[in-house]
Amino acid sequence: MNSVLLMNGLIGGLVFGAIYALIGAGLNVIMGVLRVVNFAHGEFILIGSFMAYAMLTMLGVNPLYALPVVAVVMYVGGMLAYYVLIPGLARSDDPETSSFLLMFGVSLMIISVLTWIFEADIRPVNFSFNPINVVLFSIPDAYGPNRDGVVLIPTARLVALGINIVIIAAMTWFLYMTLPGKALRGAIMNRDAIQIVGINVHRLSAAAFGLATGLAGITGVVLTLVIPSVDPNGGADLTLFGFIVIVLGGLGHPVGALAAGVLFGIVEQLSNVVLPQAAAQMVGFIVLVAVVMLKPEGLFGKRQSR
Amino acid sequence: MASVEGSFEPRSDVRSTRYVRRAIWYLLVAAIVLWCASAPLRDANMSFYFSFMMWATLATGLNFIAGFAGYMPFGYVAFYGVGAYATGIGLKVLGLPIYVSVLLGGGVGVLLAVLFAPTLRLSGVYFAIVSLSLAIILQRVISLLPEEITGGSLGMNIGVVTDRIEGYYAMLLVLIVALLVASWLAESRLGRALKAIRDDVEAADAMGVDVGRSRLYAWMLSALFASLAGGVQAWFTGAFDTLTAFDVLVTAKTVIYAMAGGLGTVLGPVVGTIALVGIDEVIWRSFPVLNNFLLGLIITLLILFAPRGLVGTLMRLYPRLRQYVM
Repeated sequence: MNSVLLMNGLIGGLVFGAIYALIGAGLNVIMGVLRVVNFAHGEFILIGSFMAYAMLTMLGVNPLYALPVVAVVMYVGGMLAYYVLIPGLARSDDPETSSFLLMFGVSLMIISVLTWIFEADIRPVNFSFNPINVVLFSIPDAYGPNRDGVVLIPTARLVALGINIVIIAAMTWFLYMTLPGKALRGAIMNRDAIQIVGINVHRLSAAAFGLATGLAGITGVVLTLVIPSVDPNGGADLTLFGFIVIVLGGLGHPVGALAAGVLFGIVEQLSNVVLPQAAAQMVGFIVLVAVVMLKPEGLFGKRQSR
Repeated sequence: MASVEGSFEPRSDVRSTRYVRRAIWYLLVAAIVLWCASAPLRDANMSFYFSFMMWATLATGLNFIAGFAGYMPFGYVAFYGVGAYATGIGLKVLGLPIYVSVLLGGGVGVLLAVLFAPTLRLSGVYFAIVSLSLAIILQRVISLLPEEITGGSLGMNIGVVTDRIEGYYAMLLVLIVALLVASWLAESRLGRALKAIRDDVEAADAMGVDVGRSRLYAWMLSALFASLAGGVQAWFTGAFDTLTAFDVLVTAKTVIYAMAGGLGTVLGPVVGTIALVGIDEVIWRSFPVLNNFLLGLIITLLILFAPRGLVGTLMRLYPRLRQYVM
């Protein structure tokens, strides 16, 4: 493998890794605070993508301006969805497994509606920056003597990476420095104890669900920059990547998911370079099974006495 | 001390409710068998009856591990897909008769269950996610196998060498066996052990139940019927590929049908399948676009309003019914 391919793989890994980190962080907020396994997270992301797509094609809105709109709409929508879906789960004998099925049902409905509105085709998102590519650096003699290799990155991906880094930084700041963020982390640690200190668990849970759907919406918009097409059936893969990431990072640890996301992105992109496609697609799942079987607390987590 | 006197031999009213319970169940089974066996003669829609029998088999099979043992295998389709592929390979590559090929499929499914047995260590969501991942890995592995064996991306076409009617009755046979095994399990030592484990592992262990072994048996039985169903489905339809044989919707529908009736009872999955296969057929015919939407809606409503299913909810509302439900 030559060094240009390797560098491209690494940079692609970073770009996709940041997206996986966002997916994982969203899943983990819901998992941690609500003990709900959000099988519809990929479809929530698709809603974000399709909103950006619709705003671009119908109103000509730049996805960068669509981003805050999508985030707010998805936050509010998520809070409303919380009150419809989640409190009823308490009636079940096994809320965690039931939540998995419940959200699977929701994902089927979302796919169906998206397919109904936008039809089942994969649609291109016709949006590009000027210039299309940015030269990052060149590697001297990469293809032999006097044939330098140039490492390029599409501007859209560079922008996407930038947005992701800002969002991730903002989220980390929110979780560790602000009172609502601390309440969220408190809810992850002990849902009963935080009620004693006067936190309204229902409102906090609704906010957590909204935060996660808002993050999903942002992920969706950013995703249209990285992969300029939208596909109503693409959600399941995103959800599964999200599961891989949160299992690697430790279930319910929002920050562990960030590191795991980047790690998984790099591994995935590099195995795409090295292995045949079908084999590369397996790598993530094999890692997931291995981690769950051997180190269920995640790569970075400490064993908990739950 | 009347209760002590009667403790060795079941009291007569206990025995009579048991007879009523068995009578209700076996009458239902007989009705289903007659109804399905006569479908081709009545010139009814064979595909509809076939899909009913297949889903009833799958839902009953899922009930062994999900209802009796309390595990939710979200990759249940793995066994179904492997059954289909092993049947196809047995028939086309090894040149075995179709009957033997389907049995081979069942055997491979059980073998796979033994291979996946370490995942039974996991609980709840971890088990569900790992099970799903294993199904995906298996699908990719099969698509990586040489084209001469699995047919590659075109899938396998075995319709030329198999007979559809025979496939239909093979499904009926598998369903009957599944239902009989379920009725045996409900009253057997193994079934009681499994329920005890599901309700309280430590207590069951302390009472001398072999936890690991009981779970493994339930898991193997579950896998057996899913892989037989996959094999017979391949026999009946004649063609399949990695996408249809490992479709997540197969798991989803199985889980929904089983849950709609109620996991944990033998009656539940069968009742759920009868109710929902009919509804599904109507939906599919009248609103093909919204099919998945309504499926999703049914799942959502079921989980929110009747997580114990039709039979489970009725038993909760009228506890006296419990003694008549197998």
